Amino acid sequence: MDRKTIIYLVTWTLILAVFWLLLSGFFKPLLLSFGLASVVLVVVLVRRMDNTDNQPQKPSLSLPFFRYIAWLLGQIVLSSSQVAKLVWGSSKRLSPTTTKLPVAHIPEDSRVLYANSITMTPGTLSVDIDDNYVTVHALREDSIKSLQGGKMANSVANISGDKN
Amino acid sequence: MILETLSTILLISGAFFSLTGAIGLFKFPDFFTRVHAASVTDSIATILIISGLILRTDFDLVAIKLLFILVFLLLTSPTASHALAKSARHGGLLTLAEIRDTQNKDNG
Amino acid sequence: MLVLTATSVAILSVMALALARALKADTVYDRILGVNMVGTKTALFIAVMGFLGGRPDFLDIAIVYALINFIGMIAVLRFFEYTATDGEPGDKEQSS
Repeated sequence: MDRKTIIYLVTWTLILAVFWLLLSGFFKPLLLSFGLASVVLVVVLVRRMDNTDNQPQKPSLSLPFFRYIAWLLGQIVLSSSQVAKLVWGSSKRLSPTTTKLPVAHIPEDSRVLYANSITMTPGTLSVDIDDNYVTVHALREDSIKSLQGGKMANSVANISGDKN
Repeated sequence: MILETLSTILLISGAFFSLTGAIGLFKFPDFFTRVHAASVTDSIATILIISGLILRTDFDLVAIKLLFILVFLLLTSPTASHALAKSARHGGLLTLAEIRDTQNKDNG
Repeated sequence: MLVLTATSVAILSVMALALARALKADTVYDRILGVNMVGTKTALFIAVMGFLGGRPDFLDIAIVYALINFIGMIAVLRFFEYTATDGEPGDKEQSS
């Protein structure tokens, strides 16, 4: 156990303890001891699993991450109104397309975030992901073009660049 | 009073977007486009309705619990959509463009 | 209060539409899509009902429902992903 591991485990203990307290809202000794027991159990499990797969997950709660989430919420509102227009309008304006976008330049941890963001914005849907490409299905060709512009990919790559 | 009006607007537009998604489920031509319609209700309607409810609380533990529901739903629903689309694609379901291509090949 | 009632009625009708979609679907994936939508809407509906009845305790049930719905969805998809690749590709569901 070096210093880094201890800091990592203490961070998770604090996060889990705050999570328990917020969910329960009771401060009776019995319930608090239940909370302590489950926090300790989960931290032990996290430690054992990290020893097995060697992929410790740092909680990535940095400022760029929250800025990215805010930007993503704005994108969701914009593209939702576009899809709503498509639903109520005539279905001839649909032009479904499938494309492959490169993900090789994005760090591995952040690819999940990237693919999830693509799916979360209505109008684009990540169908498949492998080492080099993510396959995207889009309702209209415009949305593929804006993804190819690479703004989202760059911001996702920036988050993890800050973290490491 | 302002909060109440704001929450009313958010709730009503959330209800509108969920209805939009449900109608899109019937209107869109194939499976992959229907997933898009469902993801509208999953993302924007959830955000709008939950934030409408948060504005009606006293900003105590209840608001935090609502925030947790929002985070859980926003994390899980794109993952579920992706898993659904992926297993449909691996199960051999074709998109509209691919169906058109195979028909053209058969005809010509 | 009226707004909450209107919202819950809207969510209920969305659930009814999704259920209808699931019942008259062409492929098994359309069915899962409809059922998934019913599940996420149920979590929202429980939350709105808690406010309508003035009992915010319902929110705990909504959290648990959201998590269980996700796990159930992944389990069902795993099952169909493995069985679907064994059959013919593009095989439409016969019984309906």
